[in-house]
Amino acid sequence: MKGQRFLGLAYLAPYIIGLLVFTAVPFLASLYLSFTDYDLLSAPEWVGWDNFKKLFTRDRTFWKSLNVTLLYVFITVPLKLAFALFIAAILNYRLRFINFFRTAFYVPSILGGSIAIAVLWRYMFASEGLVNMALGTVGLVPVDWFGDPGNALFTITLLRCWQFGSAMVIFLAALQSIDKSLYEAAAIDGASKTRIFFYITLPLLTPVIFFNLIMQMVQAFQEFNGPYIITQGGPLKSTYLLPLYIYDEAFKKFDMGYASAIAWVLFVIIMVLTLIAFWSSKKWVYYAGDKRS
Amino acid sequence: MKRKLIGAALAGTMLAQISPAGADELRMAWWGGDSRHVATQKALELCGAKHGHVIKGEFTGFDGYLEKLTTQMAGSTEADIMQVNWPWLPLFSKDGTGFADLRNLKPLDLTQWSEEDLAAGSMSGVLQGLPVSTTGRAFFFNTTTFEKAGVPIPTTWTEFFEATASVKEKLGADYYTFNAVKETAQLLVTLAVVQKTGKDLVDPATNRVAWTPEELAEGISFLGKLVETGAIRSQKQEAADGNVNLFEKPDWAAGKIAGSYEWDSTYSKYADPLAEGQVLKPVPMLKLDGAVTDGVYRKPSMVFAISKNSKNPEAAAQILNCLLNEPEGIDALGTSRGLPASKAAATRLANEGEPEVRAANEIVMAASGPLVSPFNEHPEIRGLFIDTLEEFAYGQIDAMAAAEQIIDGTNDVLADFD
Repeated sequence: MKGQRFLGLAYLAPYIIGLLVFTAVPFLASLYLSFTDYDLLSAPEWVGWDNFKKLFTRDRTFWKSLNVTLLYVFITVPLKLAFALFIAAILNYRLRFINFFRTAFYVPSILGGSIAIAVLWRYMFASEGLVNMALGTVGLVPVDWFGDPGNALFTITLLRCWQFGSAMVIFLAALQSIDKSLYEAAAIDGASKTRIFFYITLPLLTPVIFFNLIMQMVQAFQEFNGPYIITQGGPLKSTYLLPLYIYDEAFKKFDMGYASAIAWVLFVIIMVLTLIAFWSSKKWVYYAGDKRS
Repeated sequence: MKRKLIGAALAGTMLAQISPAGADELRMAWWGGDSRHVATQKALELCGAKHGHVIKGEFTGFDGYLEKLTTQMAGSTEADIMQVNWPWLPLFSKDGTGFADLRNLKPLDLTQWSEEDLAAGSMSGVLQGLPVSTTGRAFFFNTTTFEKAGVPIPTTWTEFFEATASVKEKLGADYYTFNAVKETAQLLVTLAVVQKTGKDLVDPATNRVAWTPEELAEGISFLGKLVETGAIRSQKQEAADGNVNLFEKPDWAAGKIAGSYEWDSTYSKYADPLAEGQVLKPVPMLKLDGAVTDGVYRKPSMVFAISKNSKNPEAAAQILNCLLNEPEGIDALGTSRGLPASKAAATRLANEGEPEVRAANEIVMAASGPLVSPFNEHPEIRGLFIDTLEEFAYGQIDAMAAAEQIIDGTNDVLADFD
């Protein structure tokens, strides 16, 4: 019995060691470093709250980057969730070749985060790229996707929205688990399809919407590849998300202490928004057996 | 039995450690393109065989190399021999202690470098890196495009603007005579200011910006003039195309962008993609009216350094000396890092390399200009220039405000090195 317990611990050890070494230690180290002046090559020097004071009082780039990041998250997450749900609802029908379509719609999620796709995106949305050529064929004027600061962020959000597959698969699984008798009862009562969707499907999907909301929000706050490869944060820092700023401070300016401070502010923002989402979920998320009417 | 087995295993291990007598396993890190990777691997193989060492190459492209090197230096896991960009010396070795002191390593024949070269590789008087080659920015023009428009290749900026007007009139508005984005834009502004003032960005006596806001504003306005006259594409146009490298642009290959200001050693990178029949030539420095100097941006292209944490710096020095001063290394490396600074290599490779690269290098070496500070390419200062020039290009600030912003920000960075 005792041996079995140790065997269990042995199985868990790789994960626990990995968690401690690659997550917990860097996590705590970055907290310590956020209170230091550290250039990587010499010993960290304790500076107290100086990094945070500079961040909130003198650093215009931080505020610009934070605004861009929040805008990016607030555009991307709802758009991606709505799109994923829309496609999942379509793929829930029993169509011919449905498995092929489900796979095809999932593929962008596997490819989406890769560097190659980001490069492809850059060429597709270039001034003489595929997208503008397509617009031209239907008589529309070409759009300055990357050169106009007003459009660049939207172009980056499209890349993330295109990677809707993982959220879609979760929605699809949830749609398929909804009790069919509820739909039959509603149909017998003469409910329209729209009414069925809003009064049966959507409420029963809220736990999954909530899960996807949290996951997508956390991922969106950490977006790096797309803007780094496609726009390098420009033009005029219109796509300069906080992870890019953290990277530049850490590896271009060698200011690890300041970069850690920004990373912790980002962490707190994500945590606060997650807590708000959890708090609000009591009002809009319905679980099986929920007594609310 | 068990004891015998352990004894045999230990003996085997000891034998394995001592059998390749005197041999050391070394690592060497560099950045570059395919031709440099192939040449360096070959040179390491030959030099390793000559001196009885095994050298593992760690090579990559330029992008990300600085980040990788910094992380390795922070963790003391850097390679024994490193290719280091010359402007990075102050980052890694502010006080001359970042790398091994090369004057203490006997296998290195330092008489092959001029005192000026050795000074350029020193920090606080300590020799930290051996200059591999001297490089500089040179003007390349697509002579085919100019011939098509019936205008001569310009020799001054005044002629250049006249030629631009003719090219656009005769060949079309979508033809551009020049290119300037990101760091090339920064170096063009620098060129304009240096030609007018004769001063480099940093005054070595005070370690602060040597230019006045008015002088820098004039240089920034010069960049604006290049856009206004249609000589270069605007920053907005470049961004709209995804800030693609010049040598990857179809318009460059077709001769619709007919010139640039690039490192002399990169001639092939820009000449190779040109469509058949297009000819690219290096030309002497264009000068502004009233220029007091050519304003050449000339510097050691890169240095080779030895890690201060190397377990066998003498072995690393043997290999480094072989790469730069001995026939095996010189022949294998060829001109993969430009025309070499070592006298032994320069003599041996006197007739090697592309004639156009040699011609560009001769232009750079013959031109006049102040001593260039490595701070011109400090990542933070470069970022400041690029960001501010972008704000200027988008009409967010005027030339004077841009100049003040650059000078204030640069002085802040320089103050960290007082």
